[in-house]
Amino acid sequence: MRKVRLQGLLFVFFISELQAAAKSAEEKFVLREGQTFTVNCYFSIWQYLNSRKAWQRLTDGGERLTLALIDKASGGPSQVQVGRCFLEEISDEGILHVQMTNLRVEDSGLYECVIDQHPKAKDHPILFHHPVRLVVTKDPSDTPASDKTPSQNKAQVPTRPHVTTKTQSILHTSPRTVTQFLPMVTASLSSPGLGVTPTQRTDVIRISLISIVVFVVCGILSKSLVFTVLLVVTQRSFGSRPVNPQK
Amino acid sequence: MSRFCVLLAWAFLAHLGLGAAQQDQKCCGPIVPRREWKALASECVQKLELPVRYVVVSHTAGSSCDTPALCMQQAQNVQNYHARTLGFCDVGYNFLIGEDGLVYEGRGWNIKGDHTGRFWNPMSIGITFMGNYMERSPPPRALRAAKSLLACGVAQGALSSNYEVKGHRDVQKTLSPGDQLYEIIRTWPDYHE
Repeated sequence: MRKVRLQGLLFVFFISELQAAAKSAEEKFVLREGQTFTVNCYFSIWQYLNSRKAWQRLTDGGERLTLALIDKASGGPSQVQVGRCFLEEISDEGILHVQMTNLRVEDSGLYECVIDQHPKAKDHPILFHHPVRLVVTKDPSDTPASDKTPSQNKAQVPTRPHVTTKTQSILHTSPRTVTQFLPMVTASLSSPGLGVTPTQRTDVIRISLISIVVFVVCGILSKSLVFTVLLVVTQRSFGSRPVNPQK
Repeated sequence: MSRFCVLLAWAFLAHLGLGAAQQDQKCCGPIVPRREWKALASECVQKLELPVRYVVVSHTAGSSCDTPALCMQQAQNVQNYHARTLGFCDVGYNFLIGEDGLVYEGRGWNIKGDHTGRFWNPMSIGITFMGNYMERSPPPRALRAAKSLLACGVAQGALSSNYEVKGHRDVQKTLSPGDQLYEIIRTWPDYHE
């Protein structure tokens, strides 16, 4: 029973990390009420110089709300202010500069810089820059703790060049930096639930799991599937020795 | 046996996933140092804040070269044009790539370049391919040299592990790096519009 639970747990961890890696990275900003949020979205001058550019909010219901729009090709200005949203297109550098002033708690949510190419393509705009997850808190002591494991991510630098020093940004996993799930899994493997019952069965689980982890880590470090093959061979010969209780 | 199969499957898939995610951390390939290509001394002082997150790929739009002797001369020509004619403190690029398959050290990893606009220069490493790539492509050895250089940058901590490659025409109003080279870099995994 314990073994099955452990298997299930491992699979759950694995699948959840796969899903996390597959999601496009969000950029999280945590600010207080009254502060100003700033971000620079970069667009390709070659592709989108004459395209409409918009700052949109994604509602929980999946709707897109255009908060501000710049359309220089149609003769519009390069700076636009709509309420507390300020947008400026710096065409020579490929920058859409976004500012939201005097933040309120209700401003918390998901935002995107998009290219709005065609009136008919309103439902499928092209996203440039990571989606922005804005969290506005009432009180400094209310700042929520990070929900992921931020210490695993190298890109977590508060002073990124295109973000003002007033904001903190925590870049979540991009599909390429999958390294964070290994520490998580090793933590689960070394949990106290493993070596509690001193039966031969549990010892086999513990030893084989540790050896699996060692082989996987070696395989990763050496970038070779040879280790995975060795793993198969070792486990086959090792697993055949003690009595298999399932049979 | 099923228990082991489950764990093995997990281990194998994890290995594959991580293998795909990792970059090839080879030792740094050879870079032709400034002295060797007889560069004029640099007068630049502005440093780059490392690690840098962006790489801008351009072309010189000038003559190409396919031997070390010719490329050495071409690197000097580019530097002369930038430093003497345009008045830059040095050749504008951080690195130059020749069709001889070699990387030539320009301003290097630590000094801010003058290869694009005033917003992008302090934020990026500028690498240029010596030649004009509107109608033709650089040879595979030149592309390999460039990729190897970028991997080296990550290994040395000069480039962020999640750096992004951009074409010069993505960040400035220009034809650089040329239609052919632009199409090639757009296929690179690190390319982001």
